[in-house]
Amino acid sequence: MRRLGLLMVALVLAACTAADPVGAPQEGAGGEAVTELRLAIGGESEDGYDPTLGWGRYGSPLFQSTLLARDAELNVVNDLATGYEVSDDGLVYTVAIRDDAVFSDGEPVTAADVAYTFNAAAEQGGLTDVTVLESAQATDDTTVELRLSEPQSTFVNRMITLGIVPEHAHGDGYGRDPVGSGPYVLERWDEGQQLIVTANPDYYGEQPVFERLVFQFTDEDGNLAAARAGEVQVAVVPPALAAGDIDGMRLVSVESVDNRGILFPYRPSTGETDPDGNPIGNEVTSDLAMRQAINVAVDREALVEGILEGAGSPATGPVDGLPWYNADSAIAYADPDRAAELLAEGGWEDTDGDGLLDKDGTAAAFTVLYPADDSVRQGLALAVVDMLAPLGIEVTPEGASFDEIEPRMHTTPVVFGWGSHDQTEMYNLYHSKMGGTDFYNAGYFADSQVDTNLDLAMGATDLEEANAFWQAAQLDGDGYGFTAKAEAGWAWLVNLDHLYYVDECLDIGSPQVEPHGHGYPITAGITSWRWTC
Amino acid sequence: MSAASDALGRLRGNPPQPVATEIAHRPLDRRRRTLVQIGAGTALIAAIVVAGTVLSASAELTDLTARRLPPSLAHPFGTDWLGRDMLARTLVGLRLSLAIGTLAATVSAVIALLLAAAAGALGRRVDTAVSWLVDLFLAIPHLVLLILIAFAAGRGARGVIIAVAVTHWPSLTRLLRGEARRVAASDYVAVAQRLGHGGWWVARRHLLAHLVPHFTVGLVLLFPHAILHEAALSFLGLGLSPHAPAIGIILSDAMRYLSAGAWWLAVLPGLALLTVVKAVDTVGENLRALADPHSVHE
Amino acid sequence: MLAGRLAGRAARLAVLLAAVAVACFALMEASPVDPVDAYVGAEAARIGPEQRALIAERFGLDDPPLVRFGLWAGRVVRGDLGTSMIFNAPVTQVIASRFAASLALMASAWLLSGALGFGLGILAALTRRSALDRAIRVGAYTLASAPTFWVGLLLLTVFAVTLGWAPVCCATDIGSDPATASLGERLRHLALPAATLSIAGVAPIALHTRAQAVSILDSDFVTFARAQGERGGGLVRHRVLRNAAVPAVLLQFASLSELFGGSVLAETVFSYPGLGQATVQAGLRGDVPLLLGIALFTTVFVFTGNLLGDTTHHLLDPRLRSTSRRRAGRSRAVEVHT
Repeated sequence: MRRLGLLMVALVLAACTAADPVGAPQEGAGGEAVTELRLAIGGESEDGYDPTLGWGRYGSPLFQSTLLARDAELNVVNDLATGYEVSDDGLVYTVAIRDDAVFSDGEPVTAADVAYTFNAAAEQGGLTDVTVLESAQATDDTTVELRLSEPQSTFVNRMITLGIVPEHAHGDGYGRDPVGSGPYVLERWDEGQQLIVTANPDYYGEQPVFERLVFQFTDEDGNLAAARAGEVQVAVVPPALAAGDIDGMRLVSVESVDNRGILFPYRPSTGETDPDGNPIGNEVTSDLAMRQAINVAVDREALVEGILEGAGSPATGPVDGLPWYNADSAIAYADPDRAAELLAEGGWEDTDGDGLLDKDGTAAAFTVLYPADDSVRQGLALAVVDMLAPLGIEVTPEGASFDEIEPRMHTTPVVFGWGSHDQTEMYNLYHSKMGGTDFYNAGYFADSQVDTNLDLAMGATDLEEANAFWQAAQLDGDGYGFTAKAEAGWAWLVNLDHLYYVDECLDIGSPQVEPHGHGYPITAGITSWRWTC
Repeated sequence: MSAASDALGRLRGNPPQPVATEIAHRPLDRRRRTLVQIGAGTALIAAIVVAGTVLSASAELTDLTARRLPPSLAHPFGTDWLGRDMLARTLVGLRLSLAIGTLAATVSAVIALLLAAAAGALGRRVDTAVSWLVDLFLAIPHLVLLILIAFAAGRGARGVIIAVAVTHWPSLTRLLRGEARRVAASDYVAVAQRLGHGGWWVARRHLLAHLVPHFTVGLVLLFPHAILHEAALSFLGLGLSPHAPAIGIILSDAMRYLSAGAWWLAVLPGLALLTVVKAVDTVGENLRALADPHSVHE
Repeated sequence: MLAGRLAGRAARLAVLLAAVAVACFALMEASPVDPVDAYVGAEAARIGPEQRALIAERFGLDDPPLVRFGLWAGRVVRGDLGTSMIFNAPVTQVIASRFAASLALMASAWLLSGALGFGLGILAALTRRSALDRAIRVGAYTLASAPTFWVGLLLLTVFAVTLGWAPVCCATDIGSDPATASLGERLRHLALPAATLSIAGVAPIALHTRAQAVSILDSDFVTFARAQGERGGGLVRHRVLRNAAVPAVLLQFASLSELFGGSVLAETVFSYPGLGQATVQAGLRGDVPLLLGIALFTTVFVFTGNLLGDTTHHLLDPRLRSTSRRRAGRSRAVEVHT
């Protein structure tokens, strides 16, 4: 729910810990070089900064380097790697790495470290998802062979997002003291309050101009307050709060693939439970006509205008606008009449005169959950509730913490968000094998045709071929797919722009199209930031 | 004028008497004023409850084209970030607060009455136990106890109601216990006991009857505290869903838009809450004046 | 004799703490929160079943409640209140450092509200039935009905956002090390929260002081003093102030419990990182060890406050110093200071 002005930056352990020479921030007015930046952009990784456990899985892991990276236009470029080759069968990736990369403890980065990282990540499973890796081996100091158990067209993304950890310094507790070869080194982490990082003098790439970064972990309100008080140079704000001007700051809108939508439980409620004993299924949302009608009824433009203040665009699928988007899957929406038709065709009518539709004794009523501390999702939920009410569908919004959402998400629609440069996300969200895994396919969506297309897409050896299958998974020639025209597993609503208040003197270059949150996507180009005053 | 005559009068043991000219200038005597205040307060509260009930649907209606409008004729309290009418929302919120406040105050007052009656009628050991229980509850700061209980009761609306209901009885218990002990030590109770009537009989016949007026007054006076504490818990985020119109939630929402200049989101609902609390308090204080004129001192 | 009384008090405190501990522990037991989740918190998704079993064993979570309480109580007595899930630090450390911040806030508000309330009360009593008196009374009654956090919001709106005279949040400027923060910086951040908390506490003491002062002014010995020719400032100073001060001080000490509650709200409005805010965090995020630790700590705090109040009362009021001095027939409104 509302986290109001929370854990702030004031260091509380200072008296008890050895005196770190944490000096006062250096900020000069004209003439003096600014070497420290303060950012209120959220994204604390509560589990620590260990890439093998999922840190940086959306890219730019700050402390570590990755084999490949994306530039501002999202093209794949070399980072730690100097080049790579894929075998004809798509099973073996041979990567050559640079020889001048050094970890922050002075040890050189070798192929052995790369191999270790990939193997460790594969063992961990879960969030980093390198499970397709069979083995990683260093053939010499600067060459590593990544062997897959089956071809995976999206494996390149792993090379872009998996930060390389040192074999000699990795273990329990690494997450709080990460040694890496990235542009910054972790100086201090006061959990829940702030993260202080300093530039890595041995970084092989472009030395960042800013020697010290202070990330403060405050909530939406705290970020805005800090920006208004001139206490941070970069602050992320939700659209509704980006209404006013702040002296000395400009509002930067960064395009993103970050999206929001409502996840529908796909199965009817038959008493099934997941391995933890949480029930699965919802009698209302398991009905195809209901899901399609909801998709058709929602006025997405109104949501973009009203909730996002125009900082976004409508979305009818999870990958709108990306290269693997199937434009045919787009639907016409904001059409309550058509929605009413769909419902009537689906057998929904108000048989008992209570103003609500019903079918086979089930009334068209359900709860929608939204994360209580997220005002955008709250707004989307409430607006959609009002859009569906005239149709005779009674939706009850409920705010809850993620802890409370987790056991209920198999039976109750939830306003979730995703959005990645990695096509694997479609697989994670819609493949039947991913049912009940983490937060991915929480609705237990399962369609054999979609599964087939998703498998073919992952297994394709050629990106073009893969894209064709990705598009088929969305909607294929026979009318099957996971999008609103077909199975409508979700009601996708909008793509967000990420809004930042940025100090007028700070040039952040041209930020790349950002993925879904959790991390510091805007710092992807941090080495090119400049202070222009 | 009065200071000297009052002082002299007090020395003689008489209460200050109004001089003839004073009577002529005073529009209402004290008793009538008390009754009028009780009536006005109750009427205000009733009006709010009715309004809140009638408007509950429109308070939730979002209107994305009318976001964050300042107060106007169409929207006397302005609108919020989803275009909801703030006046309707405030009234519904006040009704919610009053409902929770009533429930919580009643439960607390009943607990207090039972404990006090038991303390008075059932002998010294029960009395000591009750007194000790009161001390235990008063040992922790009230808000900390509320947070603890709200958390333990599973948060949400249920948690808030339970927390507020279960923590407001200590001070009333003390008061009622004092009264109960006085009654218990009085002559007619001694006579009743001499005649062979047992503890509970005494409690029912004499104690409760005597305690009821204090109980009623105490209940009404608990109200403001219950309302304010419910608002505080909602404000802190321990209560209802973030979109529920509880005044505390409305105010914590308002906090985010203050910097954007939307002052009406915080000032007006808070003022409304203040008015309601004051109204309830006025009714309570005046009821107490009626029930126990000795309690009224200048 | 003092030592004896203190020892008695210490025993009472121990019994009280024990009772509070039992009550709070029982409360946590009754809550629907899964105890392993409560201790593990954010890691919950990552912990495998074997690790959960280990944690359950270590904290005795599979044992019956009585055994668990015994284990926990044993640790508490040895000074180990557990580890805070939110701050990832020992609970004792969190409470100590957070309380240091809150202490500054509460102390300044306490002194301010005491002084201001007392002054206003005396003023109202002296100008009884005048417009000023009415204004003070109406103001006090109104303030008593106002939610503390709303007052804070008003102050925030007017002084921080609109006028920019005070910072919007926190105890020190962002990014700086509080150890090197200047006194001026701290005071600047302390101003509004302290003002909020003071305003919340002014009303009861003003009204109470006024009532006390009025009854003193009407009492026998003041009439007598007036009849003897004492007037004005001297009368006020010697007769009224000191006698009214005693109950006022008592009231202030008794209000420490309310003060802490108010600081929870004030700290939330201003994002001031004190113990109150930590309590809210603990409640919101289900940090059971921290909640229990704070419950015990605040019990000690309130108890200490009451003890100080009683001690002060004994010191200030000679009538209570020795019961043998009490003589039947003496009027209550005895003059105790000359």
